Amino acid sequence: MIVTIPNLGNISIAAKALFDGLKIPYIMPEVNHNDTLKIGSFYSPEEICLPFKIMMGNYIRSIEKGADTILFAGSCGPCRFGEYCELQMKLLTKFKPDLRFIVIDSPLDIGKKAFLKRLNEINLSSSASRKEKLSAMLAAYHTIRILDQIDAKAHELAGYEREKGACKNLLYSCKREASACDNPVQMLKVLNDYKKKLRQIPLDYSKNPLKVAIIGEIYTIIEPFSNLYIEEKLMDYSVSSKRTLTPSWWLKDTFLKPLKINSLAINHAAKKYLPYKIGGHGRECVGESLLAQQSQMDGAIQIMPLACMPEVVAKSILPSIQREKDFPIMTLVIDEMVGEAGYLTRIEAFLDMLEYKRKTGVKWAVCSSFPS
Amino acid sequence: MVTVGIPKGLLFPKYHVFTSAFFDELGAQTVSSPDTNKTILDLGTKYCVDDACLSIKVFHGHVAWLKDCCDFLFVPRIMGFKEREFICPMFCGLPEMLRHNITGLPHLIDTPLASLQNDKLYTWAKNVGYRITHDKTVIKRAFNRAMQEQSQFCPGINDTNYGQKIALLGHTYHIHDAFINMDLIQKMNDAGFGIITEEHVPASDKEAAVKRLFKKPFWSFFADYYGAAIHLYQTSAVDGFIYLSSFACGIDSILIELIKSETGEFPFLIIKLDEHTGEAGINTRLEAFLDLMKRRTHDDRYDSQPGEHQYCGKSVV
Repeated sequence: MIVTIPNLGNISIAAKALFDGLKIPYIMPEVNHNDTLKIGSFYSPEEICLPFKIMMGNYIRSIEKGADTILFAGSCGPCRFGEYCELQMKLLTKFKPDLRFIVIDSPLDIGKKAFLKRLNEINLSSSASRKEKLSAMLAAYHTIRILDQIDAKAHELAGYEREKGACKNLLYSCKREASACDNPVQMLKVLNDYKKKLRQIPLDYSKNPLKVAIIGEIYTIIEPFSNLYIEEKLMDYSVSSKRTLTPSWWLKDTFLKPLKINSLAINHAAKKYLPYKIGGHGRECVGESLLAQQSQMDGAIQIMPLACMPEVVAKSILPSIQREKDFPIMTLVIDEMVGEAGYLTRIEAFLDMLEYKRKTGVKWAVCSSFPS
Repeated sequence: MVTVGIPKGLLFPKYHVFTSAFFDELGAQTVSSPDTNKTILDLGTKYCVDDACLSIKVFHGHVAWLKDCCDFLFVPRIMGFKEREFICPMFCGLPEMLRHNITGLPHLIDTPLASLQNDKLYTWAKNVGYRITHDKTVIKRAFNRAMQEQSQFCPGINDTNYGQKIALLGHTYHIHDAFINMDLIQKMNDAGFGIITEEHVPASDKEAAVKRLFKKPFWSFFADYYGAAIHLYQTSAVDGFIYLSSFACGIDSILIELIKSETGEFPFLIIKLDEHTGEAGINTRLEAFLDLMKRRTHDDRYDSQPGEHQYCGKSVV
């Protein structure tokens, strides 16, 4: 059994640590680029959302390299992400009839027995001892946690760095070195080193950079390729960005969900505008924009794939928040047709307006309306 | 007397008997918007967020039309029909979408409904009825009458007096809205084709067909349409499928592919609707499809010769 997974930001690095620790043969998905999307959208239905198409591209590439099992976290929520595996199975078994899918769904939906059976499928192909397995899982958890911390810190400090590009370069080399490691212990060591190095970057706290929150659909904000590397672009503009939805947030949220104590702050903030869970991360999107406003950020950028159902609901609520709280929010809708130039123009214009708003102190409704 | 506005969009064709009987017995006057027309569609596109699907836009139009002539607007927040089943995220967030997109709305009756089980439904009806009257016996009586009238009503279509029969799949709110589907049903009947919709496939048959899937579908609509389509295909009860879908519908984007992968070369016409749909284009496609369907039965020279698809109408996408 040779396992592969779809590419999803830092998760692929943590998954590498996990598979190395469990001694499971694997093929890592190649870094997403235009060809991945091209091949993925060629084999996908036209109207499905962008994450499906990129994942298909990843799978097809990995299958070409010899992968025969796909490991995938499912869901049974109202968003169509939950039906991805069903359709991908139908489409991919045309290429490779013996392709296996291991879908990790919530035990509440598929039953405890089926859940354990699916976990055991992975377990059986691992040659590690029980102790090694436990330590591999722990190491993978720490990897994703530290990686997300480094990510968040670098994105925040980019606004304060003395030497432009220091944070970005550090983040690049950190990810490059981490993915080159072939055992989890070594990877953790590299990450901890970089965490220290990040603290030594010379900073200038007299700067007062723009602070922008990245909110929206979880896949498109976590996987940098799908949002055209927006966080790196913001680093280039010396803007501090903040993103709450990360793989480690998702893990925590998933495990606390059965106890109903997940994301309390976000849900509490969103209560006035969207009191019910509508699937996907629609409520989180609304809650985060309000939290960003409360923490004195300058604005928020919502990113969503075309026709994402929960985000469309959030998108129709955000203008009210913008109006009532005087908090600028821009929505970027992404699909395989998106052009980078138009996208950049919008981001730049938004940042210019944020600067103008800060300088003059006028209301956002005034800045964003056409001069008469 | 309180006036309750009932927008004629989304699940109205399915449950209007229940709602009108319920509010009538409660002593409220009901007013519903007219059938969808150009004015309502324009109002909808004006108010609604542009990424939403056509039916959500049309619903916004109905609400905007009704907002000034009623005290309460009935917009149930339908989370799902069964436990751990859902319908569509936009239905769950519909009252919020309306509140934030349309100004000057009356009070919305937006009590969440998570299940159609009798006791859950009664609890929901009590909450709704409480907005109109505080008399519990009246609510109970209204609920019983509404349930009884609803149980005698079937919104589906099952024509019998036509030569060929086509399964018309898709959401109820596309099939029963003659304006947005450009009077498709009448056109098909005029051309001599009968129609069957998913309501006329027994639930047990649908469930049996859904068992083929790897994962139990979590959308109620998905299970119904998939089950009906596969059952009708396997029993050869129909000669072809027409799927009425709207642009950017999340459920359809997956469902259509899954049905197609099961039925292979079976005649299947997909009609995508949005607010820019032109009638001439729909007519041409429908006529072409129906002509090919007629030719399939009348002329068996064209039967299943590979490579002759352009003539025999074996595969029409």
